Amino acid sequence: CTSDLDITPQDDQDLLGEDFFANETAYKELLAGVYANLSLTGVDGPGSSNIDGLDAGTSQFGRVLLYLQTLSADQMIWSYENDPGTREIQRNIWNADDPIILGMFGRSHVTIAFANNFLRETTDAKLDERNVSAATRTEITAYRAEARLLRAMSYYYMMDLFGQANFLTEDDAINQQSIVYDRAQLFDFIEQELTAIEADLADPMAVEHGRASKGVAWMILAKIYLNAEVYIGQDKYTECIDYCNKIIGGGYTLASNYLHNFMADNNTNSAANEIIFPLISDGTFTQNFGPTTVMINGSVGSIEANGAPLGVSAGGWGGALRVRKQLALLFEPSIFNNDTRNTIISTGRDIEITDISDRDQGYILEKYSNATSTGSFGVDQTFVDTDFPLFRLADVYLMYAEAHLRGGAGANDADVAAYINSLRSRANNPQNNLTISDITLDFILDERSRELHWEAHRRQDLVRYGLFTGGAYNWVWKGNGTNGIALPSNLNLYPIPSASLASNPNLTQNSGY
Amino acid sequence: QQTVKGVVKEKSSGEILPGVSVVVKGTTRGTETDFDGNFSIERVNTGDVLVFRYLGYANKEVTLGTNFNLTVLLDESSEQLEEIVVVGYGTTTVKDATGSVEAITAKEFTKGNIVTPENLLSGRVAGVNITTSGAPGSGSQIRIRGGSSLNASNDPLIVIDGLPLSGINLSSINPNDIESFSVLKDASATAIYGSRGANGVIIITTKKGRSEYSLDYDFQVAFGEIKDRINVFNADEFRNIIAQQRPQDVGLLGAASTNWQDEVLQKSVSTQHNLSVRGQVFNRIPTRLSVNFSEIEGNILTSQFDRANVSLSMNPSFFDDHLKVSLNYNRAFVNSRSADAGQINAALRYDPTQPVYDASSPFGGFYQHINRTPGGILIQNGTRNPVAALLQSNNTSNTFRQFGNFKVDYKLHFLPEVTATFLVGFDKSTQEGSFFNPLNSPANYTDLFVGAEGSFLNEFNNENLDAYLNYTNTFGKVKLDAMVGYNYQSFNGSGNNTGNLRNPNDAGFTTYTNTPVVLIGFIGRTNFTFNEKYLLTLNYRRDGTSRFGPENRWGDFGGAALAWRISDEDFMKDSKVFSDLKLRASYGLNGQQEGISGDLYLDRYRFGNQGSGYIFGGNPIQSTIPSERSNLRWEDVATIEVGVDFGLFDNKFTGSINAFQKNSTNLISDAPVADGSNFTNRVLQNIGDLQVNGLEFSLNADLIRSEDINWNFNFNATYLDREIKELALGQDITVGGIAGGTGNFIQLFREGFAPNSFYVFKQLYDTSGAPIEGAYADLNGDGIINTQDRYLKGNPQADFTFGFQSNFNYKNFDLAFNLRASVGNYVYNNVNSSLAQYDLLQDNAVLGNIPTSVLETNFNSTSDVIISDYYLENASFLRMDNITLGYTFDRPIKKFASNSIRLWAGMQNVFTITNYSGLDPELAGNGIDNTNYPRPRTFLVGANIKF
Repeated sequence: CTSDLDITPQDDQDLLGEDFFANETAYKELLAGVYANLSLTGVDGPGSSNIDGLDAGTSQFGRVLLYLQTLSADQMIWSYENDPGTREIQRNIWNADDPIILGMFGRSHVTIAFANNFLRETTDAKLDERNVSAATRTEITAYRAEARLLRAMSYYYMMDLFGQANFLTEDDAINQQSIVYDRAQLFDFIEQELTAIEADLADPMAVEHGRASKGVAWMILAKIYLNAEVYIGQDKYTECIDYCNKIIGGGYTLASNYLHNFMADNNTNSAANEIIFPLISDGTFTQNFGPTTVMINGSVGSIEANGAPLGVSAGGWGGALRVRKQLALLFEPSIFNNDTRNTIISTGRDIEITDISDRDQGYILEKYSNATSTGSFGVDQTFVDTDFPLFRLADVYLMYAEAHLRGGAGANDADVAAYINSLRSRANNPQNNLTISDITLDFILDERSRELHWEAHRRQDLVRYGLFTGGAYNWVWKGNGTNGIALPSNLNLYPIPSASLASNPNLTQNSGY
Repeated sequence: QQTVKGVVKEKSSGEILPGVSVVVKGTTRGTETDFDGNFSIERVNTGDVLVFRYLGYANKEVTLGTNFNLTVLLDESSEQLEEIVVVGYGTTTVKDATGSVEAITAKEFTKGNIVTPENLLSGRVAGVNITTSGAPGSGSQIRIRGGSSLNASNDPLIVIDGLPLSGINLSSINPNDIESFSVLKDASATAIYGSRGANGVIIITTKKGRSEYSLDYDFQVAFGEIKDRINVFNADEFRNIIAQQRPQDVGLLGAASTNWQDEVLQKSVSTQHNLSVRGQVFNRIPTRLSVNFSEIEGNILTSQFDRANVSLSMNPSFFDDHLKVSLNYNRAFVNSRSADAGQINAALRYDPTQPVYDASSPFGGFYQHINRTPGGILIQNGTRNPVAALLQSNNTSNTFRQFGNFKVDYKLHFLPEVTATFLVGFDKSTQEGSFFNPLNSPANYTDLFVGAEGSFLNEFNNENLDAYLNYTNTFGKVKLDAMVGYNYQSFNGSGNNTGNLRNPNDAGFTTYTNTPVVLIGFIGRTNFTFNEKYLLTLNYRRDGTSRFGPENRWGDFGGAALAWRISDEDFMKDSKVFSDLKLRASYGLNGQQEGISGDLYLDRYRFGNQGSGYIFGGNPIQSTIPSERSNLRWEDVATIEVGVDFGLFDNKFTGSINAFQKNSTNLISDAPVADGSNFTNRVLQNIGDLQVNGLEFSLNADLIRSEDINWNFNFNATYLDREIKELALGQDITVGGIAGGTGNFIQLFREGFAPNSFYVFKQLYDTSGAPIEGAYADLNGDGIINTQDRYLKGNPQADFTFGFQSNFNYKNFDLAFNLRASVGNYVYNNVNSSLAQYDLLQDNAVLGNIPTSVLETNFNSTSDVIISDYYLENASFLRMDNITLGYTFDRPIKKFASNSIRLWAGMQNVFTITNYSGLDPELAGNGIDNTNYPRPRTFLVGANIKF
């Protein structure tokens, strides 16, 4: 009876592929799995993870993105530096062994693997073989485009943060050694891929919340064009403006209240028309230690214990997150006193942070909240209902303005001023009639920080402005100096994690590491 | 001429001995004792000499006088060569053993406070290390020669009466039911277990029925107490240190003086009763029935372990012993309440100026830290009152376990050289547990009183079938013993957990079902003995496992062992020094596949549980992901070994020396895989080599053996060196998670180093020798201190371990003690590293106590120092495990022919000599000292009564 050695999984959460695909609902669930890798860390609760080498909760996509784009720059401080990797990231002393860097590289490539698997399992041949109905096959056309979009988005982040990536498509077998694409190759791939799938994607907002429409593809394209000088040394501002216009013309509108974007009901309140792509978070169904859970619990002050109005426990995480001086100073002028984007709490606190572990130092802020726009709260006091707004319209307005100032064609001064002023007006800022002469590139960088701080954009912005490395702009704790010191230029890219480098010899370490 | 009658008994225990050969010296006339030890020989005369011979006992000659009704007492032989040793699927004798096999029988068991069977072996066998925590009835970590795996299991295989267990959970087994242990260490002996022998095998034989009636009753009571405390500031010292370090927080001090460690620890009283009856049922079936009741109280508040066992064994023989049937059946009921050992850390952390109770507290009358704002609420991230945490949480489990065996040996009538054996066994357990916290407890409190309530269920099922044929014959000078067989075993497990029913956002009801594991083996073994001096054993096993895909499923394992009984050579026969000398050499190949998931080769998908879904358009959807894939194969463990068994001065000293090298190749290790090429970034892969080199020495000495005084001691010493030879892609693997930070680790697997070597920063010291906070040596000299300056220092595995056991008898007194020592084992003091910093005097918005070792470092910030080698300590130790003194009243009740009462008293954990600064240098797990359940010192008194 050696045939007894042929076992099958017995757990009701596990299915063999053949059994899973026997049901046509599988395709949508599998697509949800690709999306979910951006929100969840694993499928067995917030403590589980699809990737190893770091704490499960910390490995959440939005969280590592936040750490690499925001914590590494001038807006945020994490108090508990005994959480591995945080110290190195926020003091810009990272190396190839950093678990957070590993988390970003690993997590994004798992999205690529999930997307490739989806594409492999939805070829015409496979669908024929399984006798999939015509109705489902129509839907699968859009699903496939979305899977390709999520794959392209992962490559976009790899291009931005690491400058290279393992390049795998649905044609590569599991466990196969992969080739590597450099920045230029990734740029071309992303551009071609997003253009190719555009027709199969739904129109903006014409798709279920949580899924990607054409708007997301346009947004990624707009971003790669805006940063094309950095990525491929070419000026693509005109293309950027092109796609900004497509997005703006797609029907998105600013939320009536800036803070709606960061509340527990930002999937249904007025922000639903502003957020182009959210990372879903839900206290019941999508529990994760992602960026919104971390920022809402973490921004509760050690002194203030102000968690209750934010919909988490009063003490939160005891002051895990605070504001670096440079962000606080942007809101210092009195015109920002009542700006709704200024959620800084400074009473009884000193703006300086001389000892990172002293959670009573420095200002805190209350941007994100687990309360709803109607005054109720998220269902759970730890795992928030607040989606992370990965892409939203306000960002597009600012990109449009910047691309215009940088010489891109297709925009005009009047629109630039109108878009910037609409953000000011929405924030109840009295200075809401700026003219094009007020709007300089430096102004845009500051305004981006005021509008988009703690939204995982800052490092990219500073790199584009040439301010992230070097000594032209120093912020507190930059380069591990209390008041900041210059960074070597190689820090514009993160190192390839040593485990990733070892497992694929085709990768080469970024220079300087 | 007369007829002589009599009974033969074992000298020390008074047990009746059946089957003893009785011969009139110089004649061929004789008989054997019957089931009741009786014999009778006709036609003898005064002056005749009767010779009594019995396996394992010294021959005895009795000259007949006028008494023709004898009681003959046989003494166990110092000549142990004929002693039977149980090996895999059969038995051999010490004399014929070719492998490194050590048999430990009841008289050699370690004494003292024995609750679980493995502790009978503690310190007793070279190369075997058993570490048990202080939690009552807790399992142990057992390592034979350090283990041979990294990610797969390092636990030895445990076989009870032929039934291989899953894992090493022995806590529901009554130690009193155990007759002997056989520890198989070398690859030749273990190869018969093929895929499961790589980490050594412990074969447990339970006590069997006998025909003569006897009744044993054992009773012991134990009084335990944890004497040591982690040094923290007492209330007054704490007030001073706060005034000094945090003057702004003096207002937070309370008025009480509480020693929180004293509050969470308790003195314990435990009792054990054992009753066993042996005798013949229906005049035909030798039977043993035993009952055990243990009530073991833990030394952390509320911790309790109660066990009841019933064990039945029946061993009838039929057709002139051609058919032997053996039936064993055991039932165990364990009720335990577990106490969270982590509350010891909470106790040392809790503000000593606050009281345990507070009548006004909404938390069930227990003091809890309340936020400093008016009308404040519970401080979320602060430490909670540990006394409340223990008293208000009721985590209990009831385990019902039953296991048994039915074995038939049939010696063929037409071919008596062949014995066919058929054995079926099972081991089933059901654990039902519940957890409960009252509504007014702060458990799960997030500004709302939630409490906790729920239950869980775990069921395991292990079924085994063996069938084998044994052929034994002698052809002139060649003795042949051959065996072929088949083994089938399956393991299943499932269970559920309700989650916290009081918390609507809890993950909710979850179930699991383990992927079944099926193992199939084809077995063969041959023993050749030539001229009784040259011995050869060949073992072979072809094993199949369901854990691997069809192309990797089957593995061939085997071994060869040679032995040369030099002392039987003519040139040695007259040696006055060497009474026994045997040279052994063996080579064997084992496999290993335990402890890893068994379905990685399958095309699997897993969907999210309740809290792990996605939401499309406001509707939750079951998100499904492909599971990681890997085509694994067996780990291979090859062992080469040479050994010497010796007996000196008429076997007054016996012992052995072994030298071995184990090479594990194709180690299954969780290693990076090219990102994007799998559905994770690390999968189990067969990449990695581990080498273990070792030396073992054991010596048993019968120093004094006389009518009144017997003194025997046993000494063993082990040297072990484990080194990782190769890892996947040469990549370090981080292990050893520690407290203090999320995701921190302190150990590495790295090529060229021992597994679990500590990975630390090199602390710098000032001129006065005090450590400088956050100052580490720039070991790579790049001018930056970052994680690349960490280095490897020490590992948790001892270089040398020693065991020493002494048994001394004077007339009716007996005195026994055990010593164990460990040299070169390192422990990372995570209690100090994560807590002994002044910043932690603030415990979120309140005050918290810290270990006084902060006075030696004056460190402020945990994150600056947590990875410092300052906290890594050499934890070598010498410990007296136990000492017992007993007195036996021989036949106090004259009415019965044989009875005895032994009264004894003893102490467990007598002393430990160590430089380690923490509570206990000996830790199960991997040398990280944090939230370990400390071992109590225990006083014991007991009685053994025999009829």
